[in-house]
Amino acid sequence: MIRFDNVTKVYGNDTVALERVNLGIDSGEFVFLVGASGSGKSTIVRLILKEMEPSAGAIYVNGTKLSSVPRRRIPRLRRDIGCVFQDFKLLPNKTAAENVAYAMEVTGQKRRTIGTKVPQILDLVGLSGKMDKFPDMLSGGEQQRVSIARAFVSQPPILVADEPTGNLDPTTSVGIMQLLHRINRIGTTVVVATHDREMVDVMRKRVVALEEGRVVRDKVKGAYADEV
Amino acid sequence: MRFNLGFFLGEALKNLRLNVLMSITAVTTTFICILVFGLGLLVSAHIQSIIGSVREDVSVEAFMPDATSQEVDDLANKVETWPEVASVTTVSEEQAFAEFKDQFEDQPDLYQDLDQGVFPASVQIQLEDPDSANAVAGRLKQQGFTESNLSYPQQTIDRLNAVTSYVIWGLYGATLLFLIASVLLISNAIRLSIFARRKEIEVMKLVGASDGFVRTPFVFEGLLQAFVGASLAAFAVIWINLLFVDLSHDALPYVPISTSAVNPFSTLILLIAVGVGIGVFGSFLSVTRFLKKI
Repeated sequence: MIRFDNVTKVYGNDTVALERVNLGIDSGEFVFLVGASGSGKSTIVRLILKEMEPSAGAIYVNGTKLSSVPRRRIPRLRRDIGCVFQDFKLLPNKTAAENVAYAMEVTGQKRRTIGTKVPQILDLVGLSGKMDKFPDMLSGGEQQRVSIARAFVSQPPILVADEPTGNLDPTTSVGIMQLLHRINRIGTTVVVATHDREMVDVMRKRVVALEEGRVVRDKVKGAYADEV
Repeated sequence: MRFNLGFFLGEALKNLRLNVLMSITAVTTTFICILVFGLGLLVSAHIQSIIGSVREDVSVEAFMPDATSQEVDDLANKVETWPEVASVTTVSEEQAFAEFKDQFEDQPDLYQDLDQGVFPASVQIQLEDPDSANAVAGRLKQQGFTESNLSYPQQTIDRLNAVTSYVIWGLYGATLLFLIASVLLISNAIRLSIFARRKEIEVMKLVGASDGFVRTPFVFEGLLQAFVGASLAAFAVIWINLLFVDLSHDALPYVPISTSAVNPFSTLILLIAVGVGIGVFGSFLSVTRFLKKI
């Protein structure tokens, strides 16, 4: 589903963000990318979204080599990858429902499809009563639910999340993680970059640990830190 | 992908409502630019129309100072036989003086010290076709008339052109500069509004919006703003035209200025079209440039 072949990313001339990273993620997997700030987690997420190009190596998403995707095809690529960010990235002038609907409008779906699908998905993330609220009227956890609903509404095969609980308190975080877990259970490949130690330890999923741009550990049913 | 006009228009209207100040800036900019452009068109249209109506003039006058009435009649008889000529009348010194007194009835100080002989006798020639005026003048010159003893339309046109050609070229130059300036100003106004919303555009791109999908509401927005600004300016130009023609009739009764020099309908259409064109072009350009950067 996602494959990194010897990927190196250098910012500027000398800031090495990733160094010869090899990583394979299969369809339907749930993977945590863990590591301290600056270890390269976000770089991996941004490379998957083709927000930038690797300095060396090749990245495959859904069987497509990203370097061969031309600029004008990027929107199509991104419609197959739902994304969730630490700062939610909601459109401030749109209500919760409109934010979710926007992700369907960009793919040119019918108004009626959008009209039935949006309430369903907002209900699924537990926000059926707040559809017409604007982002600044919602709590952080609620905003993150909206952004997950938006990422998932078109049912993309892959969902990537960059520090989805980074701005949230522990109780709210549990809810968000459960939501991601449910999305994974219906077959979506989920990649979560996080430094939320507790969460990773509780979930017992595959953990890929990064340190200064290198994969230092890759363990199925792992924990945040090495277990002695 | 379906082109969802309702959605794009809705987005554009919502953006206009949410960015009222930016919209006012863009509308005002368009208004001023189209107003100046329209006034330029107005002035040049009137100058062209005045030159046109002089050109339509079918009279040639030949002045004969110190000529006997016999000489005047002889010339009149000869000229009457020319094929281009429709009619000929003679004006004696006395008639010329009387006419002058008539014209300036209310300003007697202009003529009370003048002798009758100041105004020469003349032959007034009416032509069939204004285009033959130069030929007739040429033939009169062969009869011994000099340029200063003749009055025919080309002289007026030459004199008008000597003054107005500079004015018109200056006007064309200014109009061109203004059009360039307005494209820059309007695209700058749009760039500002895009910059204010760059985060939004980035998010749109992240959830898979194509460049066209992001761009279209902005272009509609530019179109609507330009339409409002240009329409206001176009109506102002039409109104100023009427006002100006009225005023000039009072102030310059001898200058053939007429409202018909400017067709209000086509002027409206032209000005609005130019404004909307600039708005669409400007917004398209500035969004595209921004989209290339992210």
